[in-house]
Amino acid sequence: MRVEYINPFVEAAFNILTEVLKTEVKRGELYLKSSSMPVLGITAIVGLAGDVEGRVLFDMAEKTALEVASAMNGEKIDKNDELAKATITELANMITAQAVTKLHEIGFQFDLTPPAIFSGSNMEVTDVAIEALIVPIQTTFGKIEINVAIREKK
Amino acid sequence: MKTKMDFPNINQRKPEGLREDGKAFRVLIVDDSMFVTKQIGQILTSEGFEIAATASNGEEGLEKYKELYPKVDLVTMDITMPIMDGVAALEKIIEFDKNANIIMISALGKQDLVKKSLLLGAKNYIVKPLDRKKVLERVMMTLK
Repeated sequence: MRVEYINPFVEAAFNILTEVLKTEVKRGELYLKSSSMPVLGITAIVGLAGDVEGRVLFDMAEKTALEVASAMNGEKIDKNDELAKATITELANMITAQAVTKLHEIGFQFDLTPPAIFSGSNMEVTDVAIEALIVPIQTTFGKIEINVAIREKK
Repeated sequence: MKTKMDFPNINQRKPEGLREDGKAFRVLIVDDSMFVTKQIGQILTSEGFEIAATASNGEEGLEKYKELYPKVDLVTMDITMPIMDGVAALEKIIEFDKNANIIMISALGKQDLVKKSLLLGAKNYIVKPLDRKKVLERVMMTLK
């Protein structure tokens, strides 16, 4: 997978998280994942289809998701309820919109699916056909992994 | 000798959400995200605005606008929504009330739809992520 696909997502995640969390955000080292890997707990998924196809995951532990949702709402959210899910969905929407704008500007045309949230323990994600690149983003609330698997459509 | 003087209280200002007569501006929020609805609601109520109603898609937004009319001063309208999107709802509300004050709430990258909305009669737009300053600035610009 070309790194130019992932950079807009990492930049957008960095910009949006810094803006909405009003806290220090650090980008970790990019790595290539093995075919299956565990999911941290609460994950937003956005699908892409067009000149390029694949999916982007925004993956974090439940504790991190609840703290992020609390910070974004300005109030304590201590369970993964409708508001928590709506907040993480909106976070994924904002990051994806900024990244996709950048990708459209450099000439890639594709559509997105609305984000879906899945949550639970002992889950893993497997990409058989597309390799995934992961960039961990460290926030004061914990780690958020941006997991991007995109390929050019044949 | 002490002289009693009346200074105007510079720390007290009229909340932005109140008209000259002290009544609150009434707002309809149309957005499919519970988070965004709550965020806009919190920002506006903290300035004295009244949230007259909320709707989670364009069709519901249009119905609520007609129900509230003429006691509705402002609509915040998300662009991407299920059933009826924000641009279609805007068009129908403007057909019903050409003076409607509608602000489009847009994700980044929807410039074409924002432009179309402004041509169709939207008064203003805000690009997400939202914050207090951005929302109040655009709302007051629209109501003045």
